[in-house]
Amino acid sequence: MEMKATEQNRRRFFDYLFTLFIVVSLNFALPRLMPGDPFLYLSGDHGEEIARFSTDQIDAYRHQYGLDKPWPAQYAASLFALLRGDLGYSIYYNKEVSTILLNRLPWTLLLVLSAVFFSTVIGCLLGSLSASFRGKALDRLLYPLMIAVAEIPAFLLGLMLLFFLAAGLRLFPLSGAMTHFAGTAGFWHTFVDIAHHAFLPVLTLTMVRTGAMYLLARNAMTTVLARDYVRTARAKGLSTARILARHSLRNAMVPIVTRVFLSLGGLVGGAILVENVFAYPGLGRLMRESVLVHDYPMIQGIFLLVTGAVLSANFLADCIYRRLDPRIGLSTEVQP
Amino acid sequence: MTTKRLLLFSLLLFLVAACDREPSERPKAQDSTQKCGAAPLVIRLEGGDWGYPSPFAHYPRGPGGFKMALIFDSLLERDEKGLIPWLAEDYTIQENGLVYRFKIRKNVRWQDGKPLTPEDVAFSFKYADRHAATWSYIHESVQEVSADGDTVMVRLKEPLALMLDSLGRTRIIPKHIWEKVERPKEFTTPEATIGCGPYLLTEYSKEHGTYRFQANKDYWGPKPRIDSIEFVPVSEPILAYENGELDMIAVTPDLLPRFTADPANKIVRNPAFWGYRLLLNQKDLELLRDVRVRRALVYAINRSELVEKIERGAGVPGSLGILPPDHIMAVGDIRQYPFDPAAARTLLEEAGLHATGGEALRLLPSGEKVSMELLCSGQEVRMAELLRQWLAEVGIEITIRSVDGKTRDDRVRRQAYQLAIIGHGGWGGDAGYLVSHLVGDVFTQDASPSASGTAGLVNPELLGLLVQQNVEVDPEKRRQLIGEIQRKAAELVPEIPLYYTAGRTMYRPAKYDGWINMFDHHSLQHSKLSYLERTGPAAIRR
Amino acid sequence: MNGLEMTYPATRRSLPLWHMLSGSGKLALLILLLMAGVALAAPLLCRHSHRIASGPALAAPSLVHPMGTDELGVDLWAQIAYGARISLLVGAATALLAGVGGAAVGIVSGYQGGLADRLTMRLIDILLVLPDLPVMIVLAAFFGPSVTTIIVVLAAFSWTATARIIRSRVLILKERRYIKAAELYGAGTLYLLRRHFLPEIFPLAAVGMIRLAGRAIVAEAGLSFLGLGDPTSRSWGLIMHHALSFKGIYYTDFWKWWLVFPWLALTLVVTSLALLGRDLEKLADPRIGRS
Repeated sequence: MEMKATEQNRRRFFDYLFTLFIVVSLNFALPRLMPGDPFLYLSGDHGEEIARFSTDQIDAYRHQYGLDKPWPAQYAASLFALLRGDLGYSIYYNKEVSTILLNRLPWTLLLVLSAVFFSTVIGCLLGSLSASFRGKALDRLLYPLMIAVAEIPAFLLGLMLLFFLAAGLRLFPLSGAMTHFAGTAGFWHTFVDIAHHAFLPVLTLTMVRTGAMYLLARNAMTTVLARDYVRTARAKGLSTARILARHSLRNAMVPIVTRVFLSLGGLVGGAILVENVFAYPGLGRLMRESVLVHDYPMIQGIFLLVTGAVLSANFLADCIYRRLDPRIGLSTEVQP
Repeated sequence: MTTKRLLLFSLLLFLVAACDREPSERPKAQDSTQKCGAAPLVIRLEGGDWGYPSPFAHYPRGPGGFKMALIFDSLLERDEKGLIPWLAEDYTIQENGLVYRFKIRKNVRWQDGKPLTPEDVAFSFKYADRHAATWSYIHESVQEVSADGDTVMVRLKEPLALMLDSLGRTRIIPKHIWEKVERPKEFTTPEATIGCGPYLLTEYSKEHGTYRFQANKDYWGPKPRIDSIEFVPVSEPILAYENGELDMIAVTPDLLPRFTADPANKIVRNPAFWGYRLLLNQKDLELLRDVRVRRALVYAINRSELVEKIERGAGVPGSLGILPPDHIMAVGDIRQYPFDPAAARTLLEEAGLHATGGEALRLLPSGEKVSMELLCSGQEVRMAELLRQWLAEVGIEITIRSVDGKTRDDRVRRQAYQLAIIGHGGWGGDAGYLVSHLVGDVFTQDASPSASGTAGLVNPELLGLLVQQNVEVDPEKRRQLIGEIQRKAAELVPEIPLYYTAGRTMYRPAKYDGWINMFDHHSLQHSKLSYLERTGPAAIRR
Repeated sequence: MNGLEMTYPATRRSLPLWHMLSGSGKLALLILLLMAGVALAAPLLCRHSHRIASGPALAAPSLVHPMGTDELGVDLWAQIAYGARISLLVGAATALLAGVGGAAVGIVSGYQGGLADRLTMRLIDILLVLPDLPVMIVLAAFFGPSVTTIIVVLAAFSWTATARIIRSRVLILKERRYIKAAELYGAGTLYLLRRHFLPEIFPLAAVGMIRLAGRAIVAEAGLSFLGLGDPTSRSWGLIMHHALSFKGIYYTDFWKWWLVFPWLALTLVVTSLALLGRDLEKLADPRIGRS
């Protein structure tokens, strides 16, 4: 039995390794599939200056960054560099990819993790509440409200918040992650300042995600509450809160946990638009920009980071999933 | 049971409210700097990351180069009227434009205290010739550079009239710092931003897109008028201006009424040096080789209405002489093309493209529809739709193909298009760019195709004129030639400039009123003289 | 329990769908039908062209232009009526493709297990970890932006969520005693699927699909908002994109019709879909419906 378990774990580990390899290869290929050249600038955004490079200059740069080599050679070089932990040097930003990522990552993490936390907590609470009061006034009020909030595209919601709360009521700053050039104000002030700036983006992401979590929790809870053992518990006279806490939540957790971890990948996508609305200096903005300018090493670096994060999140989801419902682990082994 | 439910519910509500209420204190530290002492003048402009402001590491797109120019001086500077001597006190052009001699100013110091010598200048040219600087156009065109006494001599591989501009704008970098640097694009230590310009870089954040420049107290030239320039990112510049977070913004025409009434604001129209053009690929589409068809296209397109609809009036309709009316070498007496669909139809009939039996579309002699594919990026789709509408009225079918910007650029360079809309700045620059607009890369083998995309027009007379102006160093003679080229271009229609944007810039003169436009550029905040006293070499020319 | 399940389908069959819906569900269905009607009858309903300018630019709503005009002078009501076609098409096609595909994959991989499951899970992992927005940008650049590309790309990225959730449900179901019992009694795979799995899975799949439709419509709007949609399609997202890229839109009155109407249309359809989804979910899962 134990032997089998370790062997299975090893197999799963190799599965993840294989996925990682495929993804790394795709990361290499995808940006290069895009038509266009990182050094070719013919047009600018409205009113924006561009530097024109001559053919000589472009060739010189392509050589400097090894882009004149055939694809297999570039691929091998990038794989070896990756094994050494070297993500390369950004063509557009003129800095090590890893440094840029490290500088940006905390900001995105701040937004995404806060949003995941708040949305999960609020969504689950409201969802369970709605499920236990199903069909009552509270549920009837919450349900359409949450659906409506969940369905408003994040960027539009963000713009709305920006306009009403930041521009109209002037409650929040318009953009950025902190006040610049304000002098040294001490740790506490900086903290408040950062929270103040992060509030609207986090609120936007939270509101958008809460709807989905709410629906999921409500759905799961309803299903669980309709089960025999819950009815038995009810018949025994246990209170709703107790039933919720003891019996239902644990069983409803499986899809919720799966969803929380699955949603991490999507959040970065959603964050792209929201970070742009609030001019927030996270990975989303970086990603949009580097795709726009075809900065291959940078795109690869971001893809890899996001991929790695999601892969490990999935792995975690898998493990938790097994702990919550231990029968699953056994069943896969029993299967021929 | 119900009370318990209520209790639970209120508890949850409280939790939600508590979670949602992150700290909401307002920051108070904002204005602390302005209270102390004789209030140093701080100007705040719209930021955003445009790269580390060294001559090699700033980004190829966007205004990073102008930030870099605050730190690094060049031999020539530009004011409202033209080039002015800057680090070079004087210059002469010899051997029919092959040799340039610059007399270098004395008593100039680098920001690290070391003196600037003609050696540094010579080094800068050699370095820019070897390594492609982002905003330098002398890469691999210099034969020899030498410093002799206080003069620097530059010998070119071949004479090129616009090299005065190119040499003049090349940034002078300190030899003692850069001589060891082999990969300048990746050299981003603090040393990389030591120049001899009027401002010092004191803060830069890549991820936030902030820059702060402080006046250089030991600047050799006119005194900097602003103590510090801060670039801060904003998402809605207009709100930021109203909040006093920015001191200068661009205003769109529909917002003008909101601000014109207030005398505290000064609104300036920018010179129209940023434009869109319609490229006609004569190599791919045989039809376009007929000048009547090209002229018909111009007549059919309502360029003034493009300005009205797309830019809400903030623009200048394209001139078929290519150079925008605000250009110092633009001539007025060229063939005019008013919006005239009837004239377009007549020309198309003459070209043998008839619409038979009440059909809307014209047919080629071979019986096929007259149909063209119009390439544009997402931003120009509206414009493309208008063009399609107008051309449909004269019987030409247009299929719009919209792709992302880089893809469009790539296809334009590979000349894989029939018609293409492309927008870029630099229309106010040295008229030498006419070469790339009019004949593409037909003219010389190594003319940068990245600057063109025009498939080229084979017209010996026009080609001759272009070759002549290319080596003509006498300013007056060159002006004549450029005028002649514009007249010729308007006759031949090698491409169709659609319009040049002329936005408006607003600022509060009470706070600072030194802003000027360079003769060849459209933005007040990009000219170095905007930040300096107008004395010495920067004195106002009457 | 068995008895209850036996009686339920009979009631379902005997009542027309309309009477099973709640008030909000009825309203939602009406709105959706209305939108579909508008989409189908667009040429009859609009006096003006949805492509060619028919009035002054940025005119406020009036009798001639009930929803005003955009900056080119094109009638907005016509654009919204024709835009309904795009949005509904994108929503329906994507939901169908991704929902059916995802459910099938989820059932097969959950029930079969083994190699099929492993391969599917790896494929899902790969798709899930690829950041979708940049990949969509790349694909749009590669294939050229068109409605078909958008549907296919959206479907390719959205089937995974359904598949994974359904798989996890199937895994749980498989452990149920009555199913194990049925297996022991020699029930065939098809029988098990029809009798036990599908009824349990259908609510998830239905809710999933309704959500997918809503999300596909929103995603199309998002792509168009970024300027990556089909520029010739005139979808609602594209109208908003044009409105939002109009500089200073928020400081003028133009947004009151240019932005609000497509936004309203989009929100109405998407919310209606969600509300209808709720009712269908009730109908599909008898136990939820009754409790």
